[in-house]
Amino acid sequence: MASRVLAQCVRSLTRPSARLSSGGVAVRVIAAPVLANHRPYSFVSNCQRTRWIEQTRISSNVGVLCRQYGDLPPLTLETIKDRVMYVLKLYDKINPEKLQASSHFMKDLGLDSLDQVEIIMAMEDEFGFEIPDAEAEKLMSPEDIVHYIAEKKDVYE
Amino acid sequence: MASTSKTQVISLYRMLMKESKKFPSYNYRTYALRRVKDGFRENVHVENPKTLDLLLNQARESLAIIKRQVSIGQLYTTQMTIVERVGA
Repeated sequence: MASRVLAQCVRSLTRPSARLSSGGVAVRVIAAPVLANHRPYSFVSNCQRTRWIEQTRISSNVGVLCRQYGDLPPLTLETIKDRVMYVLKLYDKINPEKLQASSHFMKDLGLDSLDQVEIIMAMEDEFGFEIPDAEAEKLMSPEDIVHYIAEKKDVYE
Repeated sequence: MASTSKTQVISLYRMLMKESKKFPSYNYRTYALRRVKDGFRENVHVENPKTLDLLLNQARESLAIIKRQVSIGQLYTTQMTIVERVGA
């Protein structure tokens, strides 16, 4: 009788952890403390990158069966667009009221090719990967940038 | 070599900015970035090919200087200044 109760308890403990160990980044834990280490976006010229890191912690008696994962949250088209617009709003030569997703850097916002290079370098810093010259010179609006990053990072909707 | 001088100028600008960002020292890094931006900005309207050539050669020499100084600086790093430390 006691062994049956024990077996039921173990089964109920292992069930959520089985879900956890099969998961990756986006893991839901029921009734366990979630540690979210949030940091604000920062566009700093000295290349300091801050990252969103999420870690999940489980209570110790199921510690044997589950893993702790730390990774960036998955990119979606929405988040890419938000980050691109945020970086552009921080750029001092762009008027944030005039900025829209489809505004052309040279025709609508009055920037020149040197400014466009600076913008693309800021995007490289924000998203953490290199954009080669040949493709960088074609990115002329925030929408182009979002589509390019989504292509490179395999983000589909 | 790039086909047109415009692409040459743009690629030089990119390379200079990228190398300048690698300076470990805060002072050199901010100065180099500012000087590169200002240097290219003030010569935006130059059309004379001879002056252009002169300026581009100066830029290439600066690029070589920056690369050497970056590697020297990375050999002998010091502590980060208080303005660079992120967070509390």
